[in-house]
Amino acid sequence: MTRILTLLPALFAAGLLWLLAAHALAGWNWPTLPFKAEAMTLDQIRLAFGLMPRGAIALVAGAMLGLSGAILQVVLRNPVADPTTLGIQSGAQLALVLGTVVAPGIMEHGRWPVAVSGAAAAALLVMAIGARRAFAPVTMVIAGMLVGMTASAIATAITLSQGEYLLSLVIWNGGSLVQQDWSGVRALTAVLAGGALAAGLLVRPLRVLSLGVEGARGLGLNVAAIRLLAVTVALVLAAAVSAEVGLIAFVGLAGPAVARVLGATGSGRLMVLSAVAGALLLSLSDGLVLAMAGLGAESFPTGALTGLIGGPLLIALLPRLRGATPPGEERAESGYRRARRPTALLAGLAFAILLAGAVLLVVGRVPGGWALLDRESFATFLPMRLPRLIGATAAGAALGMAGAILQRLTANPLASPEVLGVSGGAALGYALAVFLVAAPGMGTLAGGTMTGGMVALTVVASFARRRRMPPERILLAGIAVSALASAVLAAIMAVGDARSFLVLAWLSGSAAAVTPAGAAGLCAVVALVLAMAFSTRRWLGILPLGDGVAAGLGIPTGQARLALVAVSGIAVGGATILVGPLSFVGLMAPHMSRRMGLVSPLGHLAGAALIGGGLMLAADFGARMAGFPYELPLGLFASLIGAPWLIGLMMRRAR
Amino acid sequence: MIRRRTFLTAAGILLAAPLQLRAGSAPRLAAIDWAMMETAIALGHVPVAGAELIRYRADVKEPKIPDEVVDLGLRGSPNYELLQLVRPDLILSSPYYTQYRSRLETIAPVLSLTFFVRGEAPLPRAFVALGDLANAIDDAPAAARVGEAAEAALDAAAARLAPFRDRPIALVDIGDARHMRMFGFDSLFGSTLARLGLTNARSQPTAFGFMAPVPMEVLADMPEARLVVIGPPPLAARRALARSVLWHALPPVAQNRVHALPGLNPFGAVPTALRFAAELEHALTSGPTTIA
Repeated sequence: MTRILTLLPALFAAGLLWLLAAHALAGWNWPTLPFKAEAMTLDQIRLAFGLMPRGAIALVAGAMLGLSGAILQVVLRNPVADPTTLGIQSGAQLALVLGTVVAPGIMEHGRWPVAVSGAAAAALLVMAIGARRAFAPVTMVIAGMLVGMTASAIATAITLSQGEYLLSLVIWNGGSLVQQDWSGVRALTAVLAGGALAAGLLVRPLRVLSLGVEGARGLGLNVAAIRLLAVTVALVLAAAVSAEVGLIAFVGLAGPAVARVLGATGSGRLMVLSAVAGALLLSLSDGLVLAMAGLGAESFPTGALTGLIGGPLLIALLPRLRGATPPGEERAESGYRRARRPTALLAGLAFAILLAGAVLLVVGRVPGGWALLDRESFATFLPMRLPRLIGATAAGAALGMAGAILQRLTANPLASPEVLGVSGGAALGYALAVFLVAAPGMGTLAGGTMTGGMVALTVVASFARRRRMPPERILLAGIAVSALASAVLAAIMAVGDARSFLVLAWLSGSAAAVTPAGAAGLCAVVALVLAMAFSTRRWLGILPLGDGVAAGLGIPTGQARLALVAVSGIAVGGATILVGPLSFVGLMAPHMSRRMGLVSPLGHLAGAALIGGGLMLAADFGARMAGFPYELPLGLFASLIGAPWLIGLMMRRAR
Repeated sequence: MIRRRTFLTAAGILLAAPLQLRAGSAPRLAAIDWAMMETAIALGHVPVAGAELIRYRADVKEPKIPDEVVDLGLRGSPNYELLQLVRPDLILSSPYYTQYRSRLETIAPVLSLTFFVRGEAPLPRAFVALGDLANAIDDAPAAARVGEAAEAALDAAAARLAPFRDRPIALVDIGDARHMRMFGFDSLFGSTLARLGLTNARSQPTAFGFMAPVPMEVLADMPEARLVVIGPPPLAARRALARSVLWHALPPVAQNRVHALPGLNPFGAVPTALRFAAELEHALTSGPTTIA
């Protein structure tokens, strides 16, 4: 219990930071209770109705997120569950963005109903996936993070398409704790009180549940009802915070983690301590933001700060996951029929893509209808269309091959550039290139994304190897890197100058700007990866069988892995320049290839390349045509194809 | 209207396009940047195509864009094929879009002018842009004419606004009940304010960042100021402000010195500056209002 005393310095620091801000504002000339605005000076009003509710809402919102995370972790028996990792906050974010843009009328009644329904929809989806697989912790978090990434990608794209005009959306996405009366504090305190009461009532049934489902049923507990109730409480807590102050990520993960370090074991104590830790954490973060603003730095939202802790924290928590998964729940898929004539199949695929490319070269939309190009306009359009079609196809092929290599490397059917953090690392590399080099050219940017992708993958791979982790855990490490990458990108946006504009343009960019040289470069990347895959085909065949088998057969596993990591990094880095950080093509293509019966390493890779190219070609067509003449982001369109497919896949992979 | 899905030949479009336009040798302009689009319109050369016209017509409204102007899609990723189809003689761009400048240059010559530089007043640059654009399309007299008229209009407005030089003016755009954007001397509005002989309450540069709104309470440090709110605040913000103690305690609000302006394009050029001057004059002379 004495370990709880270690929270005191944090409390002290948070209080001190707040007092510093208060003193800078009004000296020691504090207003007396009850607050009567008429009798107060302006600075006293700013203290009483600005800074005081801000300090209070940091405590309340932090406590709510901590409690929400603790409830989710207890009910799902999952130490990495929280409103962010389960996609709940992103669901609320997407709903609020959609509400603001599509039906502003709804928002007049307040953000709460919209946020709660969005959060509920996301949670339902993740729970449905989880239910098929006995709520296995890693699957839940992977599903949640993928749902969350997709939802926030769509939300970001919508925000971007509205330009800077919807200032309120931008503020909300940032997660700012600035207050100017006590109404937010009152509302959140009421929800927190209700949530705490409900959690208190749920402690006993949850403790029984923690003994095991069978035992709980034997004691007459309605297991499903208890789970549903607990998840609902957690969801409402998180959605209320989202609606009131915006997106504050990962506090729900950090709170319970701190509580566990402090020695909280039982469900009840964990919930209480998590709430306390969450409150302190958010207060401390906000105190830092206040202090920085006081020192004259650019004021930035508190949510941007808490987002940064998520990635490292997830990685730190990974070792705890060992043995937490019931055996047999997260097993690789196996047993595909083998295509009888794989070569003919591949040739057919290649022919189909060429045919589609040829058709797309001569057909297009113009104002008022569709146009079939005649010879003259074909000649004018060719220099524009050809690089674009080739570039998109090559990017898709590179992603497909990278996905196939990664799935073989980790022996995990869910591995993909997004999931393993390669895309996130590539995005970070892009952003760094933009910020470190004065006027980055295409070559510099390509170098940046490729290096970023390789570094991210190396970090994840080495980490996983050192800890001797089962493949599923590797995915989680990768997702942690992705989370860190998106948080850093968000922080970069907060700086807000011409360079952030460049990153934004890339995030929302289409394949239209690809130059002939760029398309040729991407083709070279594809050729390089294909050649390297050909020379390592034996490794690719044996590595999925496990390190033991591979070493026994005389494969230098270390070198083999390193080489394959480098290849995937190059492929993803090259493709990311064009497509942006999220597309899911690298996940879909290898799967489809395997389902078609392309099982041999080389056939699998070639199939993945062709299917990936075809998917990206289709995505590019859709992105150009859906909102003509407005061209939608290519990566977004690809993930709109990929995300439902992925969810379907995760649902199907039951048993 | 039912959208026709007829198959046309692109050549047919190419032939049809010039018929919709004025005869003569006037250059065909395509505008990616809105400030450039406004400048071209001010010179009397309405572009044949412009970017993000749906948003422009909804938010900016003035100067009006005729219906026959072709919408080129998003400013961040314009539709190059459509741009090719409208066969521009000159593409109007700005440094915001440098990343695809070489791409535009394969279609037509590009004129890229800088309006907004951190820490610099944009209005003089907007006037320079009038001349630069006019030179590029061989219509220097238009620039002289428009420039003189604009200077005269600003001088006249400045004279009429002289009684309002007693207090500084805070130019804001309200985001939600807690945040706003403040326009400093390096924004078009701030720069026009200075041209009108009025004092800006904000001395720091504008935070135009993607996520850099300013907290509302910054206004508390400007007790003398008149508050000019540009664009209608969102409904939810208005409702929350009406209840807010802090808002009502802010000196400009408490002492009834709030004036409201309609929505204006913060990244506009000379026409927006003139419109801002006219709207500001109207708002100040017709007296304070309550926005919440």
